[in-house]
Amino acid sequence: MAQPRARIRLPLTWLGVVPFFVFVGLFLLLPTLYIVVGAFRSPEGGFTFGNILALNTPTILSAYWVSIKIAFWSSLIGCAVGFAMAAAVTVGAGPRWVKNPLLTFSGVASNFAGVPLAFAFIATIGPAGIITLYLRHEFGINLRLMGFNLLSTLGLVITYLFFQIPLMILIITPALEGLKREWKEAASILGATSFQYWRMVAFPILFPSILGTMALLFANAFGAVATAIALTGPSLNIAPILLYAQIRGDVLGSPNLGYALAFGMIVITGLANALYIVLRARSERWLK
Amino acid sequence: MKTTTVRVASASIAAMLSAAPALAQDMAALVEGARAEGMLTTIALPHDWCGYGDVIAGFREMYPFLEINELNPDAGSADELEAIRANMNNTGPQAPDVIDVGLAFGPAAQAEGLITPYMVSTWDTIPEGARDAEGHWYGDYYGVMSFIVNTDLVDNIPTSFEDLLKPEYVGQVALAGDPRASNQAILAVMAAGMARGAEPGAAAAQAGLEFFAELNASGNFVPVIGRTGTLAQGTTPILIQWDYNALSARDTLAGNPPVEVVVPSDAVLAGVYVQAISAHAPHPNAARLWMEYLYSDEGQLGWLAGYCHPIRFNDLAARGVIPQEMMDALPPAESYAAAVFPTLDQVNANRDAVVAGWDSVVGANVE
Amino acid sequence: MTRLWSWGALLIGIAFFLMPLYGMTEFSLKMRRGEYSFDAYATVLADPRFQATFGYSVLMAVLTILCGVLLVVPTAFWVRLKLPGLRPWVEFITLLPLVIPSIVVVFGYIRLYNTSSWLPLTGSVTGTNILLMFGYTVLALPYMYRAVDTGLRTIDVATLTEAAQSLGAGWVTILARVILPNVLGAVLSGAFLTFAIVIGEFTMAALLDRPAFGPYMQLLGANRAYEPAALAVIAFAITWACMGLIQLVTRFSKHNRVAR
Repeated sequence: MAQPRARIRLPLTWLGVVPFFVFVGLFLLLPTLYIVVGAFRSPEGGFTFGNILALNTPTILSAYWVSIKIAFWSSLIGCAVGFAMAAAVTVGAGPRWVKNPLLTFSGVASNFAGVPLAFAFIATIGPAGIITLYLRHEFGINLRLMGFNLLSTLGLVITYLFFQIPLMILIITPALEGLKREWKEAASILGATSFQYWRMVAFPILFPSILGTMALLFANAFGAVATAIALTGPSLNIAPILLYAQIRGDVLGSPNLGYALAFGMIVITGLANALYIVLRARSERWLK
Repeated sequence: MKTTTVRVASASIAAMLSAAPALAQDMAALVEGARAEGMLTTIALPHDWCGYGDVIAGFREMYPFLEINELNPDAGSADELEAIRANMNNTGPQAPDVIDVGLAFGPAAQAEGLITPYMVSTWDTIPEGARDAEGHWYGDYYGVMSFIVNTDLVDNIPTSFEDLLKPEYVGQVALAGDPRASNQAILAVMAAGMARGAEPGAAAAQAGLEFFAELNASGNFVPVIGRTGTLAQGTTPILIQWDYNALSARDTLAGNPPVEVVVPSDAVLAGVYVQAISAHAPHPNAARLWMEYLYSDEGQLGWLAGYCHPIRFNDLAARGVIPQEMMDALPPAESYAAAVFPTLDQVNANRDAVVAGWDSVVGANVE
Repeated sequence: MTRLWSWGALLIGIAFFLMPLYGMTEFSLKMRRGEYSFDAYATVLADPRFQATFGYSVLMAVLTILCGVLLVVPTAFWVRLKLPGLRPWVEFITLLPLVIPSIVVVFGYIRLYNTSSWLPLTGSVTGTNILLMFGYTVLALPYMYRAVDTGLRTIDVATLTEAAQSLGAGWVTILARVILPNVLGAVLSGAFLTFAIVIGEFTMAALLDRPAFGPYMQLLGANRAYEPAALAVIAFAITWACMGLIQLVTRFSKHNRVAR
């Protein structure tokens, strides 16, 4: 008697996600399907792994590697600083009235990228930036001699932080606000110091959210191209720039190789995401 | 004998007489057809580039019934071809009617069947090397590679590519595009190679790459994409770009900071752009009307006002229709006397070599 | 100790953010030779297209936020509640818009939904606007989903749902009156991000030929020195103000929540 009911219930459960998959299918997956298809197609039209194998050149491999490095560092530092700032205004000892302006500012800053951002940094701490020149003339500090050059991977990471940190702040603040006051009180009643509370109660609870946001930050930096072109265009070779150059200028000489490049980027993002899921599953074991 | 001559003469007179009304009839038919279509869609025409703002305004004044729909002014030549490709089955306003692309892209578009032939009424005055014999694409304007120098920050203005290597210009020289993708930057490298005496094409590409490697090693090269903003701000006080862009930037800056535009003495490289009508244009009559306008004296002078040398420059000059103020606003004519127009093969060979070799030879990869 | 950490983190962070904004603003004031002036700003604000394109983008932003919330909140809720095995796949899909260049997506749209396809969206102005809105929703999907998912994590979704169901609530009531108010903070974060994305977006609007703010900024800034910097500052300030408004509006609607 329960059997017919169980059989009817299953399709209904899936019905709940149908709108999402239809939307994503029509407006994300289908338009980009020819990337995946094109990556495995030869110029004549047959199926081939040749394009994927052709990715194994020093230029392309180094482009991927530099992209991964920049994405990793900017997401790690962005995560740490963003978390510290968000914690300061929600559960820390920072002034509470700063929270709302900080959130709205983070909203704007998280999408401030491309030529305006690159120009802002160039105008400030670039080789002829206003602060660079000020330090040199007033204090005799020559940033270049000290090894700092904005037009480098380090400079790019620093520029990326301008939108990575606000993104972290925006997404982790609701999670921080979800930390119940009772837990802090209970911990202190049991004799825990603030440090112990953080290490044993708060961080483990927040860890999945922090990891998830870091995965988002990684993908965000990995795919960011406009800022990179504007800041280090002729000097740095990263995967999105190579992809853009292929799409816009056919510089690799083969559109299928461009598709393979994009496919490679999707695979790397998938791997990063898989790593995050494994780590999250481990940390969630005792939650819920 | 006499009879044949008379017959030939009368035949040619008859041809001439029938040609003239045919042209006038064509124009009238075009205008009517365009009126029915009601719109022209252009792409990749920034208003500051070759004075396109005024050129478009002039066209609008002449045919007020046509709505000018301007797409993506930021598009590069490859973007324009992609726009035609993607919109093949689309008659909406996203499909461009006419394109303005670098020389190498004309034949590429023709090979793919993206453009359709049309010979404007002034076809005969377009130099043969700058047009397709069947009329698929035709040169519209050219400029030469030049330097624009921020004279607030640079005391001795460099006059040649070799000058740029001098130690006084440390941290000051930049390209105006990505040498792996931008037509302007790729040809700048070729110009540098030609300054070293190499033949245009793959040889100049190699010599140019070596020049930039030296420029980078000595610290004179700033590995950033230079713009008018960075020129004024001071990060890239010396930019290598087309003379019409440089002159237009000089006008925009209006003395703040004061700049000087110099055509290098050791290499004068001319870059030609070409016009074409899309084979899938939703408004073919409006497109042809646009071409007629661009290749009329008025259209050509409009480009000259934007500091681009129109392709019919010699014809216009010979007939004396160029106003003296326009001539005075350009750099001196002697600079252009030695202008080299590379062939299609040379341009393509150069592009392949520069794009493949930039990262390894110049090695501006800063870690 | 906590006070030191909190204040230290805040001050360093704020200094880092202010620094490039200062450099950019300082440069934008230099349009008149030799002295600081607002000339660049006057040029930008005097342009009639500024208001038209900004208004269009604000409207599109609000519509995209609504579309995003309607799409993401039920999906994230359902996945969390009933289909936890699907979570990794949904998360991976929501990360895709970050690595697939939007130029590829929009060319895909033009090929798939042009005037001779089964869904001719580009044939009409309304259709193209809808297509653009869907494109924006896709772009904002990663941020919206992550924000809502993080928010849902902090509330006990299963218990709340069961409680509501035992009181006789249907799914729509549960979502609208139980779940949504509790994740409003997270939804608001996602809304801010969506708003900023739509205002600044260039590629999709340019290629679909819609009069949005992004293409306008590009048109103005291509060959100029001071105006683009002024425009960036203005856009920054106005977007910030708009977000402040959104926050104000939401705060007034929070009055029916029980105080903590």
